[in-house]
Amino acid sequence: MKCTRCRATAAVALPSHNAGFCPDCFQVFFSRQVQKAIKEKDLFQPEDKILIALSGGKDSLSLARELKLLGYDTAGLYIDLAIPDSSVKAGEHVGRFCRELGINLHVLDLQKEGLPIPEVQKKLRRPVCSVCGQIKRYYFNRFALDNGYSVLATGHNLDDEVARLFSNVMRWDTAYLGDQGPALPAQEGFVRKVKPLYRLSEFETANYSFLAGIDYCYAPCPYSRGASFTFYKSLLDELEHQQPGRKINFYEGFLNRARRAFARQEDLEGLKPEPCPVCGYPTTGEVCGVCRLREIMGAKG
Amino acid sequence: MQILIEPDNKMVHIERSGNVINLLKKLELRPNQAIVIRENELLTPDRMLDEEDKIVVRKIASRG
Repeated sequence: MKCTRCRATAAVALPSHNAGFCPDCFQVFFSRQVQKAIKEKDLFQPEDKILIALSGGKDSLSLARELKLLGYDTAGLYIDLAIPDSSVKAGEHVGRFCRELGINLHVLDLQKEGLPIPEVQKKLRRPVCSVCGQIKRYYFNRFALDNGYSVLATGHNLDDEVARLFSNVMRWDTAYLGDQGPALPAQEGFVRKVKPLYRLSEFETANYSFLAGIDYCYAPCPYSRGASFTFYKSLLDELEHQQPGRKINFYEGFLNRARRAFARQEDLEGLKPEPCPVCGYPTTGEVCGVCRLREIMGAKG
Repeated sequence: MQILIEPDNKMVHIERSGNVINLLKKLELRPNQAIVIRENELLTPDRMLDEEDKIVVRKIASRG
């Protein structure tokens, strides 16, 4: 296979784009997809101060590298989940990566917040993935607001977004369908959230990471086995293999033709969040989920 | 042919796979589920493989 742009030997085949790219041209392709997402979805402006949620995986590190190369004002936040082995390894990868690229790195330790994930898991006695996600979203948002960042960027890729959309459709969860997308505007208590990799598949970020020499952490989370998103992703991989381009068409079609209807319905019928009386974080419950959890865990402050 | 499967870090031996797409089939993987590396070079599904090659198949799905 030859590179679609320069006719050299291709290193990456992309049936969804009916194209193949050599290493140099693939990195141009990748960067253009990120720039297209930023421009078309108006994700952020050059003057924005961007906090990037860093997990140590290929997606968040690829995002951080690309935004740095594009000249945006960025810093990273790594949340240490206190999971034996895996959190230490991921933290080391993030630390090395940020030192090499000159990215300012913040670290927030869930042990110090009284919410180490292994202890939370023991206490809850149910799959911890959704609670872990809730805790991370809470602290990423709060850290961004408390430290003057105007945008929080995450490394969610096309596969993440399509699996989430599929899951939301399977449950017809109108609240989630109404606010799923690559940009969530800032609201009272919420920083603006963006997903600049939403046009790029997990396969594409894996190729980018390899070609860019990113030393990422690919040890899976020990608690994620059997997670429903992993199953949805394998179903959707099969669909994409049989019908290349299906994922991006499904997702872009949703953004362009369906999301607004769900958002309108939520405006009419959905619950309006109010500030949590304990921490001020917006919630539709009496107290927010993280404060409830802190109470269960007996965490202080 | 020696194949290192990542992130499992498992070595497997596969004979007469021919090209990359056939190798992936034998490993029950779709081409969009793994990157295939030979001597630090990424290989597209049409590339031919030799019995002497040392190949890394890195599965790409993130879990958590």
